[in-house]
Amino acid sequence: MIAALVIVPILAGFAVLLLPRRAEQTARWIGVAVAVLAFVAAAASYNAADESARWLSRPFSAAFHVGLGHGVSYWIVLLLTLVTACALLAGSPPWAARGGGPAERTFVAHMLLLLGSMVGVFVARDLLLFALFWDLMLIPVFLAMVASRGRAAVTAWRYLIYNVAGGLVLLLATAAFGIVTGSTDVVGAGSAHAAVGGVAFAWIFGGFAFAFLIKTPVWPLHTWMPDTYADLPSPFAAVVSAVQSKAGLYGFIVIGLGLMPAQMRAAASLMIALGVISLFYGALVALTEADMKRVVAYSSLSHLGLILVALFVFAPTGTPDIVALQGAVVYIVAHGLFSAALFLVLGQIEQREETRLLARLGGLGVRNPKLAGGLTIAALATLGLPGLAGFAGELLIITGIYRAGASWLAAVILVPIIIAAAYMLRLLQDVMNGPQRDDLPQRPDLSFVEGLALAPLVIALVVLGVDPGPVANASAAALQSPSGVALSGEHVPR
Amino acid sequence: MLYTIWLLPLLGAVVLWVLGPQLRERGGILGSAAVGLSFFATLTLYRAAGTTPGVHVPLGSWIGGFTFGLMMDPLSLIWVLVITGVGGLIHVYSIGYMAGDRAVARFFAYMNFFVFAMLTLVLSDNFVGLLVGWGLVGLASYFLIGFWFERPSAVAAARKAFVINVVGDVGLMFAVFVLFSHTGSIAYTDVFARVRDLAPPVLLTACIAIFIGCAAKSAQVPLHTWLPDALEGPTPVSALIHAATMVTAGVYLVARCAPLWDSSSAARELVGTIGAVTALAGAILGIAQWDIKRVLAYSTMSQIGYMIMGVGVGAYEAGVLHFFTHAFFKAQLFLAAGLAIHALAGEQDIRNMGGLARRMPFAFWGMLIGTLSICGVPFFAGFYSKDAVIYGELLDGHPWLYVLGVATAGITAYYMFRMLFIAFFGRDRTQTEHHGEPAHASNVPDWVMQVPVAILMVGTIAAGYLDIGGDNSIWSRFLAPDFAGENLLRTGAPQISDMVSSAVVLVAVVLGFGLAYLRYGAPAALTNAPERLDREARTMPPVLTHGYFVDDLIWALFVRPAQALGMAFGRFLDPVLIDGAVRDTSFLAGVLGWITRRLENGLVRAYAVTIVLGVACFVAYYAFAGIPR
Repeated sequence: MIAALVIVPILAGFAVLLLPRRAEQTARWIGVAVAVLAFVAAAASYNAADESARWLSRPFSAAFHVGLGHGVSYWIVLLLTLVTACALLAGSPPWAARGGGPAERTFVAHMLLLLGSMVGVFVARDLLLFALFWDLMLIPVFLAMVASRGRAAVTAWRYLIYNVAGGLVLLLATAAFGIVTGSTDVVGAGSAHAAVGGVAFAWIFGGFAFAFLIKTPVWPLHTWMPDTYADLPSPFAAVVSAVQSKAGLYGFIVIGLGLMPAQMRAAASLMIALGVISLFYGALVALTEADMKRVVAYSSLSHLGLILVALFVFAPTGTPDIVALQGAVVYIVAHGLFSAALFLVLGQIEQREETRLLARLGGLGVRNPKLAGGLTIAALATLGLPGLAGFAGELLIITGIYRAGASWLAAVILVPIIIAAAYMLRLLQDVMNGPQRDDLPQRPDLSFVEGLALAPLVIALVVLGVDPGPVANASAAALQSPSGVALSGEHVPR
Repeated sequence: MLYTIWLLPLLGAVVLWVLGPQLRERGGILGSAAVGLSFFATLTLYRAAGTTPGVHVPLGSWIGGFTFGLMMDPLSLIWVLVITGVGGLIHVYSIGYMAGDRAVARFFAYMNFFVFAMLTLVLSDNFVGLLVGWGLVGLASYFLIGFWFERPSAVAAARKAFVINVVGDVGLMFAVFVLFSHTGSIAYTDVFARVRDLAPPVLLTACIAIFIGCAAKSAQVPLHTWLPDALEGPTPVSALIHAATMVTAGVYLVARCAPLWDSSSAARELVGTIGAVTALAGAILGIAQWDIKRVLAYSTMSQIGYMIMGVGVGAYEAGVLHFFTHAFFKAQLFLAAGLAIHALAGEQDIRNMGGLARRMPFAFWGMLIGTLSICGVPFFAGFYSKDAVIYGELLDGHPWLYVLGVATAGITAYYMFRMLFIAFFGRDRTQTEHHGEPAHASNVPDWVMQVPVAILMVGTIAAGYLDIGGDNSIWSRFLAPDFAGENLLRTGAPQISDMVSSAVVLVAVVLGFGLAYLRYGAPAALTNAPERLDREARTMPPVLTHGYFVDDLIWALFVRPAQALGMAFGRFLDPVLIDGAVRDTSFLAGVLGWITRRLENGLVRAYAVTIVLGVACFVAYYAFAGIPR
């Protein structure tokens, strides 16, 4: 069942490519159906048993080992399938609509390939498998960008170069990990290797961390990201910013805290520094960006910096702070929901008005009240409105940071919340408010289907904001394992 | 019942929002009904709330010790009554005022949401619930201030109000971390029970953080600049923000956290001083305004300063009483001013009014009674509460704050009567063209707007009578459960008695009135009013017309540097410094461009296959290499 979550979307993706030309609309509904089914199947697999098949025994043992459990993996996979379904429903990118022909099928195919490969990343319980899916999930994004032509093609290459560099280092680190410990089938098995310590592990952790930092991304490795998010067709931007960017943070939780806590602790000050820099840097740039999708991209840099800080908060006793960790998990899901909603709405605006420049937009709220409502809710969730999911995450994270004794850090981290209010309102008001502009094309308001694509995200934001408990309800030890099962005992390598 | 009170306005807001286009004009009746029902439901809880623990309903809990619940004790009850009562009257008034607007239903949805947010704030039994209400109130004000969102000035005002309110949210949030970390709970009762265990620096930090929240929401110096701009919303919104909701939240919070303040004299000094400074600063700015709503806005700032000053020094009952009486007279002043503005098709400049007393006697009487009350004339509500606050300063041993309070009372009389004389006496100076709020042809009868004002008049005159009788008054006995620990810091007996103090304040008020009369009300001043007012407008010192340049200061200290940094990072650092190292600009771009052009020639899929094959080869290699030999 869990393996099917990976395989079926990938196969469906290839199958969609084989559809006849006249079946464009069918392709889209097949895509939606597959994503919805994946969501239902994933939701139903709560606490399902792991599935494993032997793979290698030399030079180290590895397995095709996948699992979902009820921890971080479970919630991220739910988020992923939900966001993918919404993105597919929200409609094809402009180049598909303009070009006609096979574009719609290609779009759906890319989306399904992305879904399958990303599920793979989050269910892999073997480091080698994890590393493979890590590289695999770059390809559909790259292809989607190349297909949209123009400047995006250059961006696509930059995306690929950065991320393949990260992926390569990740693969090397994985291989080194396997050779040193004898097995890579260890994700969620406990930190038996903490005792090994030493120089080798410092390097291995460094390799993992490098890949994770690029993927997230974190300052100063972020420069591939704003262009990528801006040039990607909006449905892809939604999925990439909502979920793919979380792969690195997920890695820090389940591989960093789960397998190498001592190294995590050693790197804490550096990572917190990078996180705080990203937090401020992203917020300040978002304040002045001219392109609305780049505003959201930089806000993402800022928010993910906060989560990174949360992952490296250690109590004086040396254990990770449970409240901060819970907050991080809540915020990972919350950020996924609101950044997806934002990119989908911005995509609708871009498609209607054929521009992303804030200076060109304005006054859309008069004619498009539904579109304005959608953007308002997404923007409010992003700026951390109390009562919505983002606030719950922020509150828990900063409480944890303060509790762990870093009171000054907690105070400093609050400042970007004010900046966030400023840049999100700037985005919202510059697009929707002000007098109507005569030089903008007048387009119809959100259609029913387009609204339907946003509704699940909004509902999830409210539900999670009112009660973040289910997502975060776990002990610190359980949170470090992707399955949500508390890590215990010594892991014996095969 | 508590659920009903709390959720009815939310229900109203949701229904109005969803069914808005269908409801249109009927939306106002629905919105008013939701708030009105909530008010009557509150009345049924009057007796239960007065008992010692009050009414309490648990709501559930999050992970990590965050428990939530609703609570109604005397303090909350007073606020809920004002929010739903005065708020309900403002809703009814709005039916008339907003009739004919394009988006009436949306307006009432926001108004109901505002009431709901405020109820969340005062009904919560813990700090996080309070914080949620705190944030939602900010959001509601954003929606209402920016209600006419095609007007750039309204959009800017809404953004400013929201961002400054977030500054307050963040302060309050920090207080939550401090209190939660050191007491292990967010519930008021638990936190207050453990106040004694807190180290003085921790306590002071928490108090200051809480007060940052109060200052932002209650427009205290230096976070007050959003309040005058907030007038960009329709006039009933101003009444709601200024009288029933929003700006009084800070007063509520300080009064609610009385145990914290009682334990930290340093925090008390800070709050009392800021309140007094705000009272004086607002009153002085009130002198320099020409917009009738701006005069009232600065008077709100000044009166909230009084309340904060009262609760800050420990005169909680007096501060809360001033909130109570202020709710009536300020709502009445705004609504009466709204009658004039409405009748003059959006004119707000008092220089273009004049002689309105004859044209609209009802609005005039509303303004006059409100003015007498706000100035603290005996037998009007404001007299009792303001005197109690001012005398409270003396009781608590703050002679300097007392002097500031008395001076502010005099200035208040001056600027309120200045406004009244210019707008309602003398020759009619109204002009035909207007450029203010949009006016609407309306078929709603006049009484819809007049009855709420008339009801408010009763409160404006009589609300203070509750406090007659000192410590045995109805008011003091009702609030006793909340402020049992009061008087802890009171030092010695005051030098003068209550009566003498009242006389001193009265002298200041009469002086202020006399000056205003001589300059604007005397027959000699009325004859050549236009020229005199013109000259006054030209010679007004810029420091007053620009609100002490606080806006410019905030702009120069925070906004511009942030923008400059953002520009430097985004336009310069990102593309040049960091990316340059990787992209190597022209060369790499050229190569990539070439490869991409090749790919566009239908090779995309071939490339995809290449990558997939590469991955497959890798997997295959390991699969074979891994086979045991």
